[in-house]
Amino acid sequence: MTATAAAPLLEVRGLAKRFGALRALDGVDLDVAGGKLTGLIGPNGAGKSTAFACIAGAERPSAGSIRFRETEIAGMPASRVTRAGIGRTYQIVQTFADMTVLEATTTGALLRHPRLSDAMARAEEVLEFVGLADKRHRLGRALTIADKKRLEVARALATEPELLLLDEVMAGLTPAECGAAVELLRGTLARGITILMVEHVMEVLMPIADHIVVIAAGKSIFRGSAAEAVRDAAVVEAYLGAPLADDAPEAPR
Amino acid sequence: MKPHLIALGAIVAAGLAAAFGVRDAVALDLVFTLLLYAVLGQSWNWISGYAGNISFGHAIFFGCGAYASALMVTHGLSPWLAIPAGALAAAALAIVTGFPTLALRGHYFSIATIAVAAIVDALVRTQPALGRATGFELPIATGWAALQFADKGPYIVLALALFAAVQVATIALERSRLGYYLRALRANHAAAAAVGIDERSWKLLAFAWSAVIASCAGVLYAQYTLFVDPPSTIALGISIDIALVGVVGGIGTLWGPAVGALVYVVLAKGVALELGGSGKGYDLVIYGAIICVIAALRPHGIVGSIVDGLRRRRGALDLGAAATGGAA
Repeated sequence: MTATAAAPLLEVRGLAKRFGALRALDGVDLDVAGGKLTGLIGPNGAGKSTAFACIAGAERPSAGSIRFRETEIAGMPASRVTRAGIGRTYQIVQTFADMTVLEATTTGALLRHPRLSDAMARAEEVLEFVGLADKRHRLGRALTIADKKRLEVARALATEPELLLLDEVMAGLTPAECGAAVELLRGTLARGITILMVEHVMEVLMPIADHIVVIAAGKSIFRGSAAEAVRDAAVVEAYLGAPLADDAPEAPR
Repeated sequence: MKPHLIALGAIVAAGLAAAFGVRDAVALDLVFTLLLYAVLGQSWNWISGYAGNISFGHAIFFGCGAYASALMVTHGLSPWLAIPAGALAAAALAIVTGFPTLALRGHYFSIATIAVAAIVDALVRTQPALGRATGFELPIATGWAALQFADKGPYIVLALALFAAVQVATIALERSRLGYYLRALRANHAAAAAVGIDERSWKLLAFAWSAVIASCAGVLYAQYTLFVDPPSTIALGISIDIALVGVVGGIGTLWGPAVGALVYVVLAKGVALELGGSGKGYDLVIYGAIICVIAALRPHGIVGSIVDGLRRRRGALDLGAAATGGAA
């Protein structure tokens, strides 16, 4: 909301992460403009999830800066990143197994509404918005995959983030469920919430992403619109390998 | 919430009837022990049940209250002062030991609690000011100012008041931010961090309250037995009894500790009264066998199994949209 035209809501520069000798990330730059949906894509093993984990505070970056609303958040623990206004979901859903849908969402809402009754009212609103209101008394562990992912979004939205990080929310969904999820994302954007979304299925992202960042081998190799991305030679090569001229053995894991 | 308060009211009424109606000292002693262990089990339940950090050293917080009482009385001070003094000592001990250990994964917290309890036990046994291994005998006095009574009735009333206060506090916990956060941390610490929960500070808060509750029970116990020494208050065996009460009844449930205390008192103490004199240890065999049966058949504890059953009936566990019933 306060982001001026000049300063992006999230600004990542030179992000690096080493695990021992392995350079999982080796220079990732990305900008997320306020109010827009930015897609973070790349082949398997490119470092998308590591970049995501560093931004969300689940991993501590080895180098580089992550500025959110012009404040440095690199190295902050996850709970403080959330309090700063960044919500997240997990690629592999992380439910509060013995909590009902309403209780889990209420837990998220308690961040900004310390009184339980206020938090519960807020959670009810969020569940209505994501379409889980009729399942509010189910246990999280008894939901379908699609509903578990919805619950993850609900829980993150309940913390009232300015920026929502989504880690492969579409993975494992049927085409119909994907369509419903896209509607949910459009609704979220309409509420003024910025989205940064990791996805490795490019076609899911193309119609909804305002900006695309492509990561390959730990580096950001492209930043621009979705239409430009599919025409970019480096991106095509990262996904499909070099043009047919030479059949050199490439071993993407 | 209402049914819980009604149940609590019924228990308090029954307890008061026992306190003023029953003259049998042995029966009253069992009632007192039952209430004491229900409180200790609930204290353990706050950190080990709701928050999921299993403590095997809880007796040291009980000991804080018991020793606070012994020290106050033997120094000519009012035993009432032992309530805040013991609570402060217990909370401080919980914060100092919990700060480095509460956010550890796996069994390290449990191991740390055993180690801390062993250190406290060794310290008490060697410190002359703490009575060393022989402990303290509290000088006899009577009346509310001295918190000592010739009759068991007032002790039952005090134990009932403490039990009721702790149950009400636990109902409040379940309906509070702290209670939700503890359950979230127990279920999934990564997801909890993602909704902004700082694990260490919330668990420290729970651990400190848990210690304060155990300390209050310790004060009451010291004033009841008028004798405080390491084996009866801070020993590992007491810690394990407290943990068993919490586990048997049902971890992380409001009534689990009370049910666990009932099982403990009826089996461990009741059976011991019937058979203990035979010198053959049948009571321990029977108690041990019951614990094994509960652990094997009802791993969620007695109350935990009932809660699961109720949820299944209400349809909270139904899978998918095709399931019958659905959420209420």
